[in-house]
Amino acid sequence: MTKKKVLSLLTAVAMAVTTMGCGATSETASTPDTQTTVEADAARGEVPSYTTLNLDDYKDFTASIKFVHHKTDREADGTMAAMIAEFNKEFPNITVTTEAVTDYAEDSLLRLSTGDWGDIMFIPAVDKSDLPTYFMPLDTLDNLSAKLNFVDNWQFNNVCYGIPYMANAQGVLYNKKVFADAGITQLPTTPEEFIADLELVKEKTDAIPLYTNYAAGWTMGAWDAYIGTVTNGDNAYLNQIFVHTAEPFADPGDGTGAYNLYKILYDACAQGLIEDDYTTTDWESCKGMLNRGEIGTMVLGSWAYAQMQEAGDSPENVGYMPFPMTVNGKQYVNAGGDYNYGINTNSSDENKTAALIFVKWMVERSNWCYNEGGYTVVKGGQNPDMYAAFDGCEVLADQPSIAGEETLLNDMNSESELSFNAGGNDKVQRIVEAGATGSETFDEIMADWTEKWQEAQEELGIEVKY
Amino acid sequence: MKYIGDRKFVGLKNYIKVFQRDDCFDALKLSLYYMLGSVVQLSLALYLATILSFKVKGGNIFKGFMFFPFLINGIAIGFIFKFFYTRGFVFDTVLQWCGFKLDNLPYWLRDQSINNFSLVGTSVWRYFGQNMVLFIGAIMSVDSELYEAAMLDGANKFQQFKYIIVPSIKTIITLNVILSITGSLSAFEPPYVITSGANGTGTYFVVMHEIAHTQQKVGLASAMAIVLLLIIFIVTIFQKLFFKYVFKNSEDEDPRAEVRRQRAIKRSIKRQQRLSAAGGK
Repeated sequence: MTKKKVLSLLTAVAMAVTTMGCGATSETASTPDTQTTVEADAARGEVPSYTTLNLDDYKDFTASIKFVHHKTDREADGTMAAMIAEFNKEFPNITVTTEAVTDYAEDSLLRLSTGDWGDIMFIPAVDKSDLPTYFMPLDTLDNLSAKLNFVDNWQFNNVCYGIPYMANAQGVLYNKKVFADAGITQLPTTPEEFIADLELVKEKTDAIPLYTNYAAGWTMGAWDAYIGTVTNGDNAYLNQIFVHTAEPFADPGDGTGAYNLYKILYDACAQGLIEDDYTTTDWESCKGMLNRGEIGTMVLGSWAYAQMQEAGDSPENVGYMPFPMTVNGKQYVNAGGDYNYGINTNSSDENKTAALIFVKWMVERSNWCYNEGGYTVVKGGQNPDMYAAFDGCEVLADQPSIAGEETLLNDMNSESELSFNAGGNDKVQRIVEAGATGSETFDEIMADWTEKWQEAQEELGIEVKY
Repeated sequence: MKYIGDRKFVGLKNYIKVFQRDDCFDALKLSLYYMLGSVVQLSLALYLATILSFKVKGGNIFKGFMFFPFLINGIAIGFIFKFFYTRGFVFDTVLQWCGFKLDNLPYWLRDQSINNFSLVGTSVWRYFGQNMVLFIGAIMSVDSELYEAAMLDGANKFQQFKYIIVPSIKTIITLNVILSITGSLSAFEPPYVITSGANGTGTYFVVMHEIAHTQQKVGLASAMAIVLLLIIFIVTIFQKLFFKYVFKNSEDEDPRAEVRRQRAIKRSIKRQQRLSAAGGK
């Protein structure tokens, strides 16, 4: 009997010790923070940089490379194979094998840590300081940004490790026919006009004026993407100013700001301008509904445009417009890179060169970005027709955060539990619930957010400057 | 605390926060819906198990059908019911066949006064088959002579159920109740998959998941998990005490009962002996 007791006591102690181990301080990895731009860029070895590489000099280059990507749909419908066939017309001796990975965000990180994944991949969510460990420096930021847009996403010490395959702009999807039927001739530019147009759609057509996609969750979080550039006209706002603002959700009174962004959603829900049963919306079927004109508008990034077009028989009716908000007489559009090509730093020099050739060809000659309906990555490149409505708008990319403050927004998101652009879907769902059921007023929600925001600032000791 | 990065000792701060936050214990209130559901689930399972353990036409097919949902993956069940409850889809159509008008039917997932019942319904559908099979197994082990004897004594079916079946399978009943109540406290799949915890359906587990993985407050979520563990401990102990009280007549649960019985027998023998000795005089 006592033996048993001793044994169980020992087990308990052992369990306690193991759990305590979890709390121990983890060693911080040594980072190449001290590297200069020149040193980091030199890590490429014999391989030319992106800008010095002249595609026409490498027509006879021989190598065999592997490209790991997340576009399972493009792998399945043969688009990828067609592009590689096109590539091989110019570079017949470079063999490219591709692999599409489902659940890319997670799997690619695992693959990355094994080192044995191929030569080119879309860079997953790694820490910027880890970039040199896994990826080859493509060029300096200065050289690259002279030629391409949105290349600062994966830069470290002013060296770029990734180039986006396409870029997205943040606007609003709408059905042109529904708008025409409702008698809307001019696209809305302010929240009031937008709500008025939704009313018209409700009155004159059978379409759902604004489809919230409430149930999918992440589609609600998509509303966060407009904070900053679109709502304030300031592309430094999101990454530099937002965390230092005392009342980011106060009403500026001129129809701008985060307040009026979310108020559109609240008002639409309160006035019954959304789908009947928002809790059972289905992401896959909403694509066809927008295409067929059963939905008037959806608030989503431009990446969704091509999917909406493909989902039905009337792709010509799918339209894209800038977000209906005007700051000082001007509409702003926020744009940014999608996934970035990265080249394995552990591949042989030949493979690295071939990979760089492939990446450069994909970016500049494949037209993939255009075909996907992406905003052009190449400076001065042609934009798809869908961006016609963006003429006259200021297209800006968010500025990166100030050195030393990179983690602040993440910390604030976590501490305040609002998680802007980071999966904070429930806070937007709450607006829909409150709007539709009247359980809370919009000002109550905004006051609650402000309180959480300020508590988080206090908790983290963030200086309030604005 | 996040999954990656430095660790900092915060003492009991996370535990204190669990009790300070409204959402943690509000979420626990939703467990009452699931507990109510488990009562329905267990009575239904017990009722069907009793019927099916006697000779019924096509009994095995019924058993199969009713057990089948338990074999389906919980995520798949979530998706099935998402469409099942969608306005104008399966459930509404079936009810319309029965003569209900669509306009009179509620929105099963939108209406906050009933959406938790809808979710509990899926959980009942999924688990009652498993409870039932456990019950049938236990009922099968009851000696059939007992029924015969009871019939000769003129006991009807309900009396047979009350005095033979229930006492014989009480261990299984206790087990099932404990499992269901524990399950109600930690309900996760239906709200997570069907409504993603939105619209007032976020149970304790869903809130915990949200805090750990979206808000990246892993420390707080871990504290929530420990608090839930303690709650489950307490509830289980209470249930044990409750059943001890309910089943106090059948003494097998109580080790001292046997001793008491032996003593009583000895006493009565002695009394008998005394009586016979006295009578002999």
